[in-house]
Amino acid sequence: MNIVVPVKMVPDLVEELEVDAAGHALDRSFLKLRINEFDEHALEEALLLKATHGGTVTVLALDTGEVDETLFTCLAKGADRAVKITGDFQEGVSSHAAAVVLARALGAVPHDLILTGVQAADDRDGQVGILLATALDLPHVSVVSGVEPAPGGKAATVRQEYSGGIMAELEVDLPAVLGIQAARAAPRYAPVSKVRQVMKTQKLEEIPAPPVEAGAGSTVSRLAKPETADRAEILEGSPEEVADRLLALFAERGFLKR
Amino acid sequence: MTDAIVPAREVFRNFPAPLVAAFYLLSALAILVFCYGAWLRIRKYRRGRPAHRMSHLGRRLRRAAAAIGSHSTLGRRHAGTGAAHFAIFWGFVALFIGTVIIMIDYDMVRLVNPQWRFWRGTFYLWYSITLDVLGAAFVVGLGAMMARRWWVRPAALDYSRPDRAPGSYDRAPYVADDRLFLWLLFWIGVTGFLVEGLRIAADPAPFERWSVVGWQLANLFDLMGVTSLANPLHLAGWWVHALLALGFVAYIPYSKAIHIVVDMANLLFTDERAGKRLPAVPEGAGAQGYETLADFTWKELLDLDACTKCGRCHVACPARASGAPLSPRDLILELREHAEATFGGSSWLHETAVREGDGKVAGGVIKAETLWACTMCLACVEACPVGIEHVPLIVQLRRRLVGDGTLDATLQGVLEKIGRYGNSFGQSERLRGRWTQGLPFRVKDARKEPVEYLWFVGDYASYDPSLQELTRAVARVFQRLGLDFGILYDGERNSGNDVRRVGEEGLYQLLMEKNLAVLGKAQFKEIITTDPHSYNTLRFEYPEFGGAFRVRHYTEVLSAALGGGRVPVARRLAGVATYHDPCYLSRYTEVTEAPREILRALGLTLVEMGRNRANSFCCGAGGGRIWMGDTRTPGVPTPSEQRIHEALEIAGVRYFVVACPKDVTMYRDAVKTSGQEGRIEVKELIELVEEAISLPAEEIPDGG
Repeated sequence: MNIVVPVKMVPDLVEELEVDAAGHALDRSFLKLRINEFDEHALEEALLLKATHGGTVTVLALDTGEVDETLFTCLAKGADRAVKITGDFQEGVSSHAAAVVLARALGAVPHDLILTGVQAADDRDGQVGILLATALDLPHVSVVSGVEPAPGGKAATVRQEYSGGIMAELEVDLPAVLGIQAARAAPRYAPVSKVRQVMKTQKLEEIPAPPVEAGAGSTVSRLAKPETADRAEILEGSPEEVADRLLALFAERGFLKR
Repeated sequence: MTDAIVPAREVFRNFPAPLVAAFYLLSALAILVFCYGAWLRIRKYRRGRPAHRMSHLGRRLRRAAAAIGSHSTLGRRHAGTGAAHFAIFWGFVALFIGTVIIMIDYDMVRLVNPQWRFWRGTFYLWYSITLDVLGAAFVVGLGAMMARRWWVRPAALDYSRPDRAPGSYDRAPYVADDRLFLWLLFWIGVTGFLVEGLRIAADPAPFERWSVVGWQLANLFDLMGVTSLANPLHLAGWWVHALLALGFVAYIPYSKAIHIVVDMANLLFTDERAGKRLPAVPEGAGAQGYETLADFTWKELLDLDACTKCGRCHVACPARASGAPLSPRDLILELREHAEATFGGSSWLHETAVREGDGKVAGGVIKAETLWACTMCLACVEACPVGIEHVPLIVQLRRRLVGDGTLDATLQGVLEKIGRYGNSFGQSERLRGRWTQGLPFRVKDARKEPVEYLWFVGDYASYDPSLQELTRAVARVFQRLGLDFGILYDGERNSGNDVRRVGEEGLYQLLMEKNLAVLGKAQFKEIITTDPHSYNTLRFEYPEFGGAFRVRHYTEVLSAALGGGRVPVARRLAGVATYHDPCYLSRYTEVTEAPREILRALGLTLVEMGRNRANSFCCGAGGGRIWMGDTRTPGVPTPSEQRIHEALEIAGVRYFVVACPKDVTMYRDAVKTSGQEGRIEVKELIELVEEAISLPAEEIPDGG
């Protein structure tokens, strides 16, 4: 079974984040990037599937910066191929554009199963997998926390976890795109010596991204840090008095239109 | 006959010729059996990888001879046992040499020219008294050891294992080996004296007074009225003695008696810096660490056979003491059983237990949880009288676990943080120097300007919010001492000491390379550390990779300054303080007096805990344990809690003084969790120093 895992680089939240001058995006000049955590789970699930059912695991990543070390780490963990899709992605890329680029790239990469992280920490829209499935005309299941291919490799049973501890099992035809919420086991550790060895002995494949036209989906109209108030006012008095005061405050701050 | 007046004795007294022949035949047989067993062992060691222990043979020989001759390692903190073994050892040596002398005189010199025989006359008299006195010491020493083992029954000799369920193994064969060994030696000694007494009783010559024990026994036989039977009894006793002795020779390589030979070799080839400087992974090695026995060096295989089960490591181990499934002794014994089952060996008496697995050592023969329980405190290596190196071996096995990804989830997270940010707190590297912001002066950036002292601050001191005030106190004291010092700010990385001891060698190399790159560009005369763990790796391990610096711990610098009167103690402190030696400052880097000198200089009354200096008891944080999930046995106090209880045995104790950032965290927690708040105060040494030397606020000189 050929499994493909597209991974995405997201801002490292350990470093302080700054909003750019236009107020629409993060200031990327100070950004440190790391692999999206859900994508680590997607890779882990892929590696576990490979261990039990055989096959290959290919990792794809758009070159949004700092991607090399991440791809080498994926190889050190046990991925067979790592493909860097080069292009003008340094300023970030929308889910729509990413899905189209990935779909094109997948034309040259055999795939029975595509595992994406269910969403990424930077935009939280969780759309790449869905858009990718649409572009490739494949079925898609989201929020998956367990994959079990059926004998013959024509279908797979996937598990979804709902709130309240309820589990659902779905059967999906392969090839399919799955959005992984969590792998069966915690993502494995890549010993540094293995990563360094891989850096010396293996090469990343590079394919240039084709020029694509894609809608932006949603656009960010304003990005801002949460404003912290330096004081709080406690309303006291009877419920009626408090309600009156609240109404007056809402009107004063422009939350109410009369 | 002139022979009658020359002191001497007949070797085969009253022997018919066939019996003499029988004796030689049996001797040859015993030696053959010995050689076969010895060869089995040598064959096993030859399967080990090279260990590079042949360098400085002269120094090694001198060191081993001193340790063996004086019993310095055996007697350390065990004066009684050491003395008993000393008596047995030198008694055995004397009796062995005495036998060899007879062999040379009778079986060699006599055959060449009987006139040249020397085992007679004055020599014989000195020979007699020496062997009798040391022989008596031998028997008394054995008696003392038997009493200790079977009557005193110290905890160290309890063979129960913390890493296996009771009933899943049986060590009665080990106990049988102990019995056989002790009784064999004991009866060899006793029958030797009886035979001598009977011979003297039969042929009493005045010069036999030199055989001080035999002479008295002969008198006793006289009193008992058995002198008439002395001749036949002597012959019978001679044979009992000879059979026991020859039996012992044959038995040596098949039993714990082999320690006579193996332990001398082990002390000869032991590494003085075992554990302090871990073995590097050879360039181009396919995998890190040890998977099977085939990866072991011959010294490690020798280590396995060297263990006499004395249990000193077992008792010293903080993991074992807190209910973790690790005993250094049982780790070695388990591997010994495995090595003999795999490579062959010669021991007769084995532990009986179900052995599972496919030959994998790390995580197989030795369970992963056993390997992860180690705090790398080095107490086992320090306690071992025969030079066994448990700690480096555990690291080699951990390396394999890390390579396989078999590690604790919390630990994995920390390693990923260190790999990414260079610190175990997972904070931005840019924040490493932020603690300096609370200081009234600027701390020099050693990357940008030359400094005399480069202060390697360490992760805990830099990032832990509860320790940063202590770090600032160190800076203020340095400033007060007028030291020209600086730090590396965000150029510093975790030193890697504990990363290496976790078994993540690749990450260690990465950290070390980054630190060396920054250190290489800075201008300084000396490195000062606050963290004893960093101190160890900077001092003992970085040099192997090209980073040879002069490194000292801050207590050494302070002790020199206070001792030299550079800084007067303005306010003498009062009260009883006890000092806890951090493992990495005592056993590893051997700094034990500087902190004590400081405490005394401050005016405190220093009272020692039972275990101090090189015998200090670990807080439980080392070897990456501080980064792992809590796996301790419920109800058993942690090592740090046990240590607080130990300190509280001191009457009127007020301060529990430490000189390691991790210790502050560990012991402040332990005081709370053991419900001893208000009874003892955990102090970092620097707090006391600052309190004692600080001037009134307005006089603090402005720094810069």
